[in-house]
Parts: sequence; C-alpha cells; structure tokens
Amino acid sequence: MLPASLDEAVTALAASPAAVPVAGGTDLMGAVNAGLLRPMALIGLGRINELRGWQYQDGTAQLGAGLTHARMGRPDFAALMPALAEAARSAGPPQVRNAGTLGGNIVTADPAGDTLPVLAALEATVTLVGPEGGREVPVSHLLTGLDPMRGGELLGYVRVPLLHAPQVFLKATGRTGPSRAAASVALVLDPARRAVRCAVGAVAPVPLRPLEAEQWVSGCIDWDGDRAIDPAAAAAFGEYVAAACVPEPPQADPEGLEGGPAAAAVRLRRTVSVLARRALGRALK
Amino acid sequence: MTTPSSSGDDNLVAPGPGVRQGDPGSATGAALGGGPAGAGTATTVGGGTLTQPRIPAQAAEHGERADGTDTAEPIGLGTSPVRADALAKAMGTFPYAADLWAEGLLWGAVARSPYAHARILSIDYGPALAIPGVYAVVTAADLRLGPTGLADGAPSGPIVQDRPVFAADVVRHFGEPVAAVAADHPDTARLAAAAITVAYEPMEPLTDPEAAFTAPPIHPDGNLFRHQPVRFGDPEATGDVVVEGLYKVGRQDPAPIGAEAGLAVPRPDGGVELHVASTDPHGDRDRAAHCLGLDPDRVRLVVSGVPGATADREDVGFQVALGLLAIRTGHPVKMALTREESFLTHPHRHPALLRYRHHADAEGRLVKVEAQLLLDGGAYAEVSSEALAAAAAMAAGPYVVPHVFVDAWAVRTNNPPAGRMRGEGALQTCFAYESQLDRLAAALDLDPLEIRRRNAMSTGDQLPTGQAVTCPAPVAELLDALAAEPLPPLPVDQPDDEWLLPGGPGGAGDPAAVRRGIGYAVGMVHILGAEGTDEVSTASVRVSGSQASVMCTAVDTGTGFSTLARQIVQDVLGITDVYIAPVDTDQPPAGPSARGRQTWVSGGAVERAALMVRHQLLQPLAMQFGMSPELLTISDGKITSYDGVLGMPVLQALEGKDLWATAQCRPHPTEPLDAETGQGDAFVGLAFCAMRAVVDVDVELGTVRAVELAVAQDVGRALNPEQIEARIEAGATQGLGLALMEDLVSEGGRISNASFTRYRLPTSLDAPSIRVVALLEERDVVAPFGAKAVGAAPATVAPAAVAAAVRAATGRQINRLPIPAEDVAG
Repeated sequence: MLPASLDEAVTALAASPAAVPVAGGTDLMGAVNAGLLRPMALIGLGRINELRGWQYQDGTAQLGAGLTHARMGRPDFAALMPALAEAARSAGPPQVRNAGTLGGNIVTADPAGDTLPVLAALEATVTLVGPEGGREVPVSHLLTGLDPMRGGELLGYVRVPLLHAPQVFLKATGRTGPSRAAASVALVLDPARRAVRCAVGAVAPVPLRPLEAEQWVSGCIDWDGDRAIDPAAAAAFGEYVAAACVPEPPQADPEGLEGGPAAAAVRLRRTVSVLARRALGRALK
Repeated sequence: MTTPSSSGDDNLVAPGPGVRQGDPGSATGAALGGGPAGAGTATTVGGGTLTQPRIPAQAAEHGERADGTDTAEPIGLGTSPVRADALAKAMGTFPYAADLWAEGLLWGAVARSPYAHARILSIDYGPALAIPGVYAVVTAADLRLGPTGLADGAPSGPIVQDRPVFAADVVRHFGEPVAAVAADHPDTARLAAAAITVAYEPMEPLTDPEAAFTAPPIHPDGNLFRHQPVRFGDPEATGDVVVEGLYKVGRQDPAPIGAEAGLAVPRPDGGVELHVASTDPHGDRDRAAHCLGLDPDRVRLVVSGVPGATADREDVGFQVALGLLAIRTGHPVKMALTREESFLTHPHRHPALLRYRHHADAEGRLVKVEAQLLLDGGAYAEVSSEALAAAAAMAAGPYVVPHVFVDAWAVRTNNPPAGRMRGEGALQTCFAYESQLDRLAAALDLDPLEIRRRNAMSTGDQLPTGQAVTCPAPVAELLDALAAEPLPPLPVDQPDDEWLLPGGPGGAGDPAAVRRGIGYAVGMVHILGAEGTDEVSTASVRVSGSQASVMCTAVDTGTGFSTLARQIVQDVLGITDVYIAPVDTDQPPAGPSARGRQTWVSGGAVERAALMVRHQLLQPLAMQFGMSPELLTISDGKITSYDGVLGMPVLQALEGKDLWATAQCRPHPTEPLDAETGQGDAFVGLAFCAMRAVVDVDVELGTVRAVELAVAQDVGRALNPEQIEARIEAGATQGLGLALMEDLVSEGGRISNASFTRYRLPTSLDAPSIRVVALLEERDVVAPFGAKAVGAAPATVAPAAVAAAVRAATGRQINRLPIPAEDVAG
C-alpha cells in the first residue's frame, strides 16, 4: 500500500492492523531480508509528501517524520538545528542517509540511533496520529515506554524548539568511516532559560540525561558575558556526565592483558567524559 | 529442470549480454541466467541496455579480440593489461554463483546449531516435511555411513578427516549444520529449516584455547591438533638484554563481499554437478564425492566467478548439502547463504596467544628467541596443522638468530573453525616478533630501523628449522628503501577542518589530543605448500587459427591469474588473442588457490605448455630457414631470425595448424618438520615485505586513523605491476583491518557480531594512502619467471606496522590485535 497522505495511511493501517508501516526501510528491510521479520503487508510512507518536509511554527520547528538524514544534513537545516544535522550526517553511509528517515530512527529506537540523544537533549515532542486523531508525546516518554505508541498509530511529526544557540553532537566510533556509535553525546545551550541540556546515547537502551550535571554546569557559565567556562569545570562536567550515565565499572586488574569487562567499562566512562567535555567546549567556543 | 535425464547444461541459460561467453569467470558460462522472467538476476541488466563507457570497454576487449592491427598497447609480461572481467565486475553484470539459475530449480536452506557445544538427542523433521512446497530434508543419516555402519556425518577435511557435513551426534560450534531442506521457494526452505525440531542437550563450551589442554576432549580425536617444537642452537645461551611479551591476535573474518552461493544440478548417472565459487575445485570435488559416497568422476565441480576469497572460501558442509539435496530431489537446487550464516561457517583467521622472550647483546644483535605459540583452530582440524608449521618455523622472523626455541600448539575449541587466510600462521607471529623488536629497540635506545638492519636475514642464512634461505632475501634492502622515503607532511599548515582526524569528518576528534606515530615492521611468508605437500599444476595451451587457449584449473580468486596466464602466452607465443577456458574438474587439477602458489605452479605450467607449443611452431620454420629454433624470436606477432633478415608473421607460420601441448610444473620437493626438533627443509620459497605505518591517534578517545602505509616488497619479478600494486593495497588494507577493527566476537562460542553493521571492515575513510615505494626485483632462480607471490606478505606485515606506529604515538604497550581503545588510551 502506498498512501499519499497521512490520513490515508492511518486509514490503511486501521483497515489492516497486521500491516507494518515502512519509511526508509533501512532497518526494517534488512530484518525482512534476514528472515527475522515476515510482515503480512507493508504500508509505504514514502509517498506522503506532507511528512517529507519541515516548517517553522511559533518558535519551534515541525519536522516531518519522513525527513531523510540526507535532507537534515543540508546547510539550511544545519543553521537552525546544528546538532540534529551533525547526527544525521554521521548516521551511516550516503546510501543509508538518503533513505533512512527521522521517524524511522525514532520508531526503530536502536540504542545507538544517532538522532535520539539530540532529540532527548532538545526535549523534542512527537505527534502520534491514530484513528482518534493526533496527540503529542515527549520523545523521551516514547522511547522509555512511559507513553508508548498505540495500535494503529503512526509517527507524524517531530516538534523541536528553536534555541538559536550552539548545539553539538559528538560520537565515538570504532572506525573513521561511518559506524555505529560506541557512545554519543548531544549538548545544546538554551540561553533564554540559561540552561545546558545534554544527553548521552548508545550507552543504555535509551538516551540518558544527566540532569544534575546539566544543572551544575549551567551555574558555572557566565551567561551574560562571553559564555566562557573554566577548562577545569568543563573537565569536571565530563566526569560528572560519565559518572551519571555509565555504571561503576566492576573492580578488576585493569593492567592485565585481558582487559575484560572492567577495562571496557572504564574505557566507556572515559569516552563519555571526553565527549561531554569536548561537546561543552565546542558549544561555548 | 524438467527432464533430469538430459545433461544439465542443456537446460541452463546462456549468460547475459554483459559477459561474453568464455570470459574468465563466465566460467560457469553455460549455467548462468539472463533467465526467464521472474528469475530476476543481475545478469539481465546487460551491457546491451546500458551505455558502456567507451574506453574501459575497449580495454576489456583488448587481448581477446585483437585483430593484429591494434598493436599500440604493449602485451606480455611486465605490462599491466586490464583484467578481462573488470568492466563486467565494475558494472555489476558479472554473473556470480548467486546469479545462477536453472529451469525448475529448488531452493536449499540449512538448519544450524544454536549451541556452541551440545549433544543431539533427536531430530524430528516431520514438521518441516509437512510444510507444502518442501521436497526433501536431509541429515547426517543421508550421507555415506561411517565405518561402524552408523551415520557419522561423513567427516572430511583437507588434512584430517574430522569435520562432518551435518553434525550427527554432537554439535561443536555455533552455526554448525545439522540438516538441510529443499523447497520450491527460498522462504519456504528457511521456514522448513526452522521447523526442524532438534532436541539438544547443551554441554559446557570450550572456548578458551588455553583450557583446551586440560579440558575433557570435545572430539574423539582429542583437543590438540598439533604440537610443533623447534629446537635450534644452544638452550643455555643468554643475551645482555632480555625482553618479554605476551601477545594476542583476534579472530579476523575474510568477510567476502559475496556470501556463499551455489547451484547443484543432478546428473543422469546419479552424480551431481556443483556450480560453486570454490577455490580448490579438485580438493572440494574429492571431499564432496567422499561425503556423498560417490565415485569422484561422478561429481563435477564447475567454478563460477569467486566473489571474494583470501584463500579458503567455502566449507564442505555447504557444497555437500547442496549436492545431496539435488541428488535426493532430482531437481537442480540453489542455495544462497545469508550474511550471518556466511560469517558463521566459512573459515576464519586463527586467533592466537603468543608468549615471547628475546635475548640480545648490547649492540642489539639477537642472541636467542624463545616463544610459546598457541593457535585456536576452532572446532575442526581444517588446515590448522599447516598454519602451525608456518607459525613455528617463522617464529623468529626474517632475522638471523643463532638460538631459537619454540613450542607451538594448535588446539580444538568450540569456536568457529579457522582456516587459511593470507599469511596464516606467519601473520600472528609477525605481530609478536616485531613488537618484541620494538621493545628491544626501546630497551637499548636504538632506532627501530637500525635494530632490524643489524639482524636482517639475507640469502644463505639459516631459518630456525635448519633450512638455508636459498631464495633472494633482500630484508636490509627493503628497510633501506623505506628509510629513504620521505614522511607524509604534517597537517600543520592546513586548517583544522581539512584534517581528516581519527573519528572521521565531523567526528569527535580534537586536533589538540591527536598524536602522530611512525612504526616499522618487516616480515615474511612462505610460498607454496610446505612440509612435503605435493605441489603440482597442469596446464594445456592450444593454438588454433589466430587464437590461443589456456586450459588450467587454477581459480582466479581475484589474484589476477587469468590475466597473468594471458600475459604468459602472449609473451611466449606472440599471439594477442588468448582465451582462458572456464574451470571445472573435468580437467587435470591445479590445486588450491592459496598460499600464493598459482603464479608459481600454474604460471609455470602455462609457460612450459606455451614453450612446447612454441617449439612445435618454430621447428618447421627453423628447418626452412636452415637455422636452429633458438635463433628465432617472437615479438609483435612476428617471428624474426636473430639477424633480422628472415621473418614471418606468427599467423602465417601457423598455416591453420592446430597446436596443442600440456605441461606440468612441480617445484622442488620439501620435507616435514621433525616432530621433536622442528628441523627440516619444509618450504619452497619465502617472500619478504617491509612496511612503514604513519598513524594519527586521539590519545583521549583511543581512536586511530592510519594516515599512510609505505610498502617495500620483494616480488622477484614484477609480472604485472598494476596488479601487484592492487594486491599490495588489498593485503595491506586487510592487515590494517585486523590491526584496528576487525574482530569476530565469540561470547561463549556464540558469535555476536555476524553482520556488516557490527563486524567493522575498513571503509574508504579508514584505508590510508598506500604507497608502494619499492618493488625489489631480484629474481628467484628456481621460480618460474623469478617471480614471488605478492598477496600474503603485505597482509602479514601491516598489523605489526600499524601496532608499532600506535605504540610510537602513545608510548603504551600494544599487545593485542585488533588494538582495543582501552589499550590506546587507558
């Protein structure tokens, strides 16, 4: 089925509840090809033009769920939502970015999904459209399962506040080419509220927000001046974020040849700490 | 297939228009399908519908259809003709085994063990057979029965016959085949494979190779594949400086771009024809016939284009299951493995644990090397004992060491089986001995190049096995070539955002935290089979009309052998149009395409056959001219006498005759290593390579990006310089992958990253600039053309060079491959 509008798609889904909606298909079709998923029917969302664009709406941007990563990586988008653009640019090779969509990234909810920490840091909300109409849900509630998608619902739009301030997305991977994140950090400044918001991706099933660290570091920033921060405070922020998001490593001899889980956990903490410190540094540069 | 009584070929469809019949790799020409509608294969997208780029098209045609007027391009050895199949492969029209199609074919699927170690209590395939569209289910009971009359899964193997096609009583690795299904649709087949109910009694998996010595045996043959000591010199000798190290090498996967696929067609005589991407057609044919309980003559193996192989490619379980299903159902059966299955079943590189102690005098000259090497061979023997011999014999590296004491073991575990991959055995030890030399250099405060020069092996020196190195061994010259090479510029004058940092463009890299490191490594690999393996290849050359044909069953796995064979014939006979016949087992064997042997044995056989044809061609002409045939030369398609007075075009001299010759090439024999002392002339030849790696390391995140690899290699003679560079780039990139990222993770025997998302291969951003700074051409007098194999040496040396560079950048001990981030930055 290839509905041409969101309403048609919702109707189609209501008519055949076993059908699986597919947008870019970069995750879904891989699972189908691998024989992990055998959907009764597919509802292709690729022809729904209203979902493929984005627009401003009183201080926020309304992003269609069908926005591709390639589109989000373009300069006009990057000028307003730089971290989201960075995340989109770093997500996989061009073939995947051309097909994969923002909505797909959210619905797949892969722990290493690149846009997820950015949306969490931006405190984005999503519009879920079902037979009874639409409802707004914070993206973190959707991801954590606090307010999951109901049967017959489609992800229509993502609403992101426009903060007009630096935003950074950093990702640590095992290779120079596109790769899954070992850890990622999204950090946004909200000068109006004098807040720093940060989310750590790929270290847990959902992006984590180190709220205390955010609060502490926003107190260290000279908001009225040049927004500078003491390098020591930035480093401490990194440690704070890492301690909040990565569990205490088990005690073990880290010097042995066999690094084991202990060394890997120590490594992950340091990675998150370095990413958070660098992200803050870049945001305040 | 509608009429099983007719020969298979009649029902098979001609190749698509993108590939000319008879191109190398259309080897399976006859079996390939533009196919009826709905077969939907890549072959239907032909050159006819696409606008072909003009220049490469001409290049690809060149040498196949040259008409004598096109003599501008040089031909023969030492030139770099384009591969005949390059265009079709670049355009995606080249038909690989996965593109094969036959009328009425069924689809196969394999049921695999979800346990690394378990006893099979019962197999109930009733639910699978009950699914509509399922034609047959086969298990160990359908194979040749064991000596006791019970089903044992028909174990086979290249050296030791211990690997069953289907597990009969015990599964010994995750993903081991248990049964196979043929059905009318690939989905039905997979569904049916999943419906086979196997009752397992899980057992404790043995995944730690060190525990294999004491653990209860997981196979009747025991847990030790081989123990090979090497005793050379005086065990009491000591040096002024002693350095010790423990090194670990992970499990690299060959990760061929095309997953295993094949087509089996039943033969009217009860046999079967297998169209697969085998790298050892006759060996695989014999093993398949043995497992199926057939006479080898009734199994015909036709080699389709090989979509990626670095030595071994397919396991016998895949090929035999395919053949068995075809025989059982009487229909052609096609099977294409998923990426995950591919990762689970084909042979991997041997993970290794290596403990070294080097003694040196105050000047840095090596006095003694002591080593304990442990290779994890996985669940079945495969070629572990062969890899072990290479590891043990080359444990001290390309250095002169008067006293060497090595104990090497290859053990059985419940990990996936390991096999041949470029530089098997030699690669693991190269990383360890080169790391040891770096430690020695640090302890003695010597330059890493200088310590290597002081110890470099040269022709006439002895290996620790007592064998004298008779081939050229230009180790010092390779190091000098590297030393003379300027370093890549530092990115100091560039803006930061133009610098490709570790972590990639727009990544987390921070120029302030990046350190540059430079590392050197030199290593060696042996060429051809070792320890008394009968290395032989047979080739025929035929000249008919204006075309020469080469019949040789050496599989071109991407090594460029077809191109080389064409060059050899062009060189010897002066005929431009050379046709390389497809490979099948009806012709005499040429042996496996591994261990860098085809250039030597098959190249040598082609040359001899061509020379015999040349003699037949020149003999009557020499009589006519009244001079001996040695005084005639062939060049540019003309036969000319030594004084240039008499001459005749080759085509005219042929007079429409059909000339044919068959020849064999068999290098000088070798002997096995002594089981007690490891002494013996085990190797035919050695190839050497030196490499300098330059890396950028983010010392906070532990990310590494290789900036440049400079390679100096001993090639004997450069027969096709461009192809050699391509092979060096391929080998070096594979070595780099092992050094930095490639590791197939076994968690209790279960492979947890069997996909290209999780198993990281180097991308174009990871591959450094690879510069060949020297191809040393010192001819090996016993090798045909004086040439040495080139593919394995760079793969062997690259991990050691990259590790050395990371060591130099961070000042930390780098003891593990792939190098984990925690070893780079705390």
